[in-house]
Amino acid sequence: MKNVSSNIFNSEKIAIKISFNDIRSIHGKTKILTDYPTYLMDESKLNGTADWLFFPKSEAEIVSILEFLQKNKIRTYVSAARTGIVGACVPNSGSVLSTEKMNKIFGFGFDKNKNYYFIRVEPGITLNEINDKLIKKELDNIPELTPDAIKNFKEIKDPFHYPVDPTEMSATIGGTVATNASGARTLKYGPTRQWIKGLRVLLSSGDILDIQRGECFASKEGSFIINKSNGGKLQFKIPNFIFNTSVKNAAGIYSKPNMDLIDLFIGSEGILGIITQIDIWIIEKNPLISNVLFFNSEEDSISFVELIRNNRIISPEFIEFFSYEALNLMKNVQNKDPGSINMPQIPIDAKSAIFFDVPYSEEKIDIIFSKINKITKKCNTSLSNSWSGYENREITRLKHFRQALPENVNAIIATRKQQFPQIHKLGTDICIPEKYFRNMMEYYHTVVRNANLDYVIFGHIGENHVHVNILPKNMEELRLGEEIYEKFAKKAVEYGGSISAEHGIGKIKTDYLKIMYSQKDLDEMRLIKKSLDPLLVLNYGNIFNFDVETE
Amino acid sequence: MLDNCTLCGSCINVCRYNALSIERAMIPLEDLKKFEGIIIWGELENKSGQLQFKKVVYELLGKALELNKELNEQISVAVLGPPGISALIDELFYYGTDIVYLCEHELLEDFSNDGYTTVFTSLIIDKKPSIVLYGATIKGRELAPRIAARLNLGLTADCTGLSINKQKQLVQTRPAFGGNIMASILSPYTRPQMATVRPNTFSKVKSKQSKKGIIEKISVKLEKQSIRTKIIEEISSKTESINIEDADILISVGRGIGSKENIKLVHELAQELKGTVSSSRALVELGWTKHPIQVGQSGKTISPKLYIALGISGAIQHLVGMQTSDIIIAINSDPEAPIFKVADFGIIGDLFEIIPQFLKLCRKNKESSL
Amino acid sequence: MKIIVTIKQVPEANKVAVNPETGTLIREGVESILNPFCEYALDMAVKLKIQNPDLNVEIIVISMGPPQAKYALIRCLELGADKAYLLSDRAFSGSDVWATALTLKEGILKKIGNFDLILAGKQAIDGDTAQVPAELAENLGIPHIYYGFDIKIDKKKINVKKETEKGYKVIEVRLPALVTISKGPSTIRRLPSMKDMIEARKKPLEIINAKSLNMDENKIGLNGSFTQVVKIFSPPTKKAGEIIDGNDSINAAEKLFMFLKEKLIV
Repeated sequence: MKNVSSNIFNSEKIAIKISFNDIRSIHGKTKILTDYPTYLMDESKLNGTADWLFFPKSEAEIVSILEFLQKNKIRTYVSAARTGIVGACVPNSGSVLSTEKMNKIFGFGFDKNKNYYFIRVEPGITLNEINDKLIKKELDNIPELTPDAIKNFKEIKDPFHYPVDPTEMSATIGGTVATNASGARTLKYGPTRQWIKGLRVLLSSGDILDIQRGECFASKEGSFIINKSNGGKLQFKIPNFIFNTSVKNAAGIYSKPNMDLIDLFIGSEGILGIITQIDIWIIEKNPLISNVLFFNSEEDSISFVELIRNNRIISPEFIEFFSYEALNLMKNVQNKDPGSINMPQIPIDAKSAIFFDVPYSEEKIDIIFSKINKITKKCNTSLSNSWSGYENREITRLKHFRQALPENVNAIIATRKQQFPQIHKLGTDICIPEKYFRNMMEYYHTVVRNANLDYVIFGHIGENHVHVNILPKNMEELRLGEEIYEKFAKKAVEYGGSISAEHGIGKIKTDYLKIMYSQKDLDEMRLIKKSLDPLLVLNYGNIFNFDVETE
Repeated sequence: MLDNCTLCGSCINVCRYNALSIERAMIPLEDLKKFEGIIIWGELENKSGQLQFKKVVYELLGKALELNKELNEQISVAVLGPPGISALIDELFYYGTDIVYLCEHELLEDFSNDGYTTVFTSLIIDKKPSIVLYGATIKGRELAPRIAARLNLGLTADCTGLSINKQKQLVQTRPAFGGNIMASILSPYTRPQMATVRPNTFSKVKSKQSKKGIIEKISVKLEKQSIRTKIIEEISSKTESINIEDADILISVGRGIGSKENIKLVHELAQELKGTVSSSRALVELGWTKHPIQVGQSGKTISPKLYIALGISGAIQHLVGMQTSDIIIAINSDPEAPIFKVADFGIIGDLFEIIPQFLKLCRKNKESSL
Repeated sequence: MKIIVTIKQVPEANKVAVNPETGTLIREGVESILNPFCEYALDMAVKLKIQNPDLNVEIIVISMGPPQAKYALIRCLELGADKAYLLSDRAFSGSDVWATALTLKEGILKKIGNFDLILAGKQAIDGDTAQVPAELAENLGIPHIYYGFDIKIDKKKINVKKETEKGYKVIEVRLPALVTISKGPSTIRRLPSMKDMIEARKKPLEIINAKSLNMDENKIGLNGSFTQVVKIFSPPTKKAGEIIDGNDSINAAEKLFMFLKEKLIV
């Protein structure tokens, strides 16, 4: 059954069947709504409804659940930590399949082709748990997938980690693969896709695809053939568009000529199959020094980013931005309760700030900081106008400062919601090619200021990917904000950017996808969905809907 | 390996094969044998205008009686204070004291390191005890090391276990490395062997004896100028006087509570169960709760009848401070939380769902029993 | 005015664990940090320096520890100390309270000389003994005050606000004296700037071995310790009780109620 390097892939069948009755499940709309309400939403606060809630403990249990679902024509929504912010795991109807109990480590090995260690995990394990095990090298009783992998690994002094950092480290690995999560450290490490060595994917038919990267590629014509476990054949074509990877992008299904089959499933938001096992590469964790540097103008901070981004000496792992409006919001929080964000006073005259991590070592700190010092002078600020820390607790503290911003935005929205329950924040997730970034920033400020709305801008400026958060005060402002949001999306596509750089499309951004893709593109994506999940059982409504015409 | 060495020396101490050893001069055993008996510091506290012995004094007495089964020597209590305190002493005899050394002096009315060290030191020189025990209270922690330094003695702080070995030495056990390991320590070369013991570590003697011991009045020589510190003012703040060490029921709250406002729910539960609220270190660091109610290694060691841990994961530093509680209940959403390892009853779940339901039950139960 | 701050490097709390099979410490992924209470003591010194510009305060930090404890001292220099000394030698290893206090005394007298005030953290988060400062004070023949949280300097005297079990006391003492600090002068810990990071690494940091202190070999390290560790072991934990799933909150609350009822608490 060895898969050779072609566009043909042999699927497997589950070895041992498990009775549906032995699987932990909750049945009943009201029961789920009253006792398990958190399973009906994610961080987008979008609310759903479901008749069934499943807690499978293994792949075999999911196979039985799928059989049951297919037979009874019940849709299912795969969820776990529910940290997403586009409602991808929120059920429209049918059932929720939570993989949270599938959180084991299945193996550990060394990949000699890539010269990296890798770890084999179930989808429900959180990134925190993975990193905790790796840092402490707690790998006892885990099978070695290559000879002496764990023994050799333990002899290395440096701590290791899985370097993808989507900010919310309580996210599960399964969720981050399904959304091709990126985050701040993408600047240095790229998105999730680059760290996935292998995947086991369960199709709704019960066929299991055990894919290792580099085994199966699309043919010249763009087709894949899957030999099903019952003898049938499944053939489908990838879309003709080339997925935009020139910017950070999590909008739509991945597609490119001669693509690897594994990449089809990464970032497909669960609509093609259920991930049951993941092999991820891991690397040494660099000691870091986190810094927040304040500037007298936004222009200065953008110049600073441009100067350090590709500097080999400084070699930043991530670069984050705080706008004047964002700093003001934090200053207000500080003024009300100085202890609440556990930081020294934000400088009163700071007009923007850049938060960035650089490698830390006693030998190099002087060289790196002297280099930064030269750059700060060009950008009209100085090293004394900053915060800096390298102990774990200080790095965590600075990271909390970064997280405190969106948290406080959400808190403001929550109070406004009391008066206008329909109000929500409007948060963009737009990534722009570098050469248009300054134009886009100017566009953001001008448009929102003209509309006289509350807003903040922050985020991953290192990759020209900042989040504009508009905070409407009433329904009229919400409407205005939505208009502006669409304007931004159109402008982004005009500039060759992505309307969803990292959050994905889920259920709440499907309309914006239509700005980025043509009807033909969307139809080609839908066709893959229909080939792999003909009864549309899996995560129906994510990325796109099936309108009457297309069905 | 050597990179991780912090030069703590414990490897040398515990090596069974003497592979790592440092030679040192031994003091003749006969000299050590001249020291006999246990002295306990009878620390006084002022409770609503009344002087009384701290609870830890009775706990130390309980332990001393147990140690004395092996030693068969005398148990004495050193009481330092202002003139007129002899009336308090009978209570000490009921709990097993043989001799009370009464050191009365005006200058001992307020505790001072200088005054108390001078008086206690001469008492030790005079009486030559084999063991001196102090409560690891705020004052005990200041006084014991000062005395140890003046008399060139070993001292083991914050012991959680005391016993006598075959050589009749005092085996002093205390947590080390943040409570992650326990270390048993001897003072082989110096006498008396001195230790401080955390309150609530040992239980006080259950049954009182009707016994009358000896009071020995010590003449105290103390001059005003030998006390170098001066108390300018003393403020008792009401809010900080809650003593979680004395509570029978503690409702303890940790980071799982999520926000400062949510602590209300914990107070509600405490009110319902007639308990006192305590806290994990995490919340004190966040400034949501105050240090006097902190349980654990850097806070207080408590041993209530019931300890309810809400949203506390149970770091080892926390566990060492509360694991001797009679009944431990834990509610935490993380099934891996170490607190469950010491819990008699644990619920893996959302405390915001469970506690309100529980309060409903309590109230319903009250109504029906009316 | 010279203010000495004695500090200790400690493993970051909550993270050191014991391998239950071998009884050895698991140190992987455990970072060493400046003991938080020592940081409070240093903050107090910095505060006194800023508040009393006329006194020309110099802050000197001193520690005894392994070579890597130098990083805790660098941290102090980042946070505002002017000069640092590390007493480090294999001969100091195994020091107990007594030997540590004696070594620190020699370090202070031989390297720093005269001083006005010594500040120390109220305890180290790894050992929690809180005994070294008092023994050091006794060795130096100066008075000590524990658990201070505010200090006012008045020429040759200081007023120390100290925690008591019931509230606080204000105690006056003449200098030189030693005060241990229980909590920081501000609720928010300071954060150095990138400039402080560079400056710190230019400040004097001297590493001192046993020889240069000229101490009697029998008075340092394990030889000079009066106490001896004879056994280390994992702390006992009690047997696990009944753990239930609380997904069904009503059911869980009922079970909790029944449990407490059985124990006669509700």
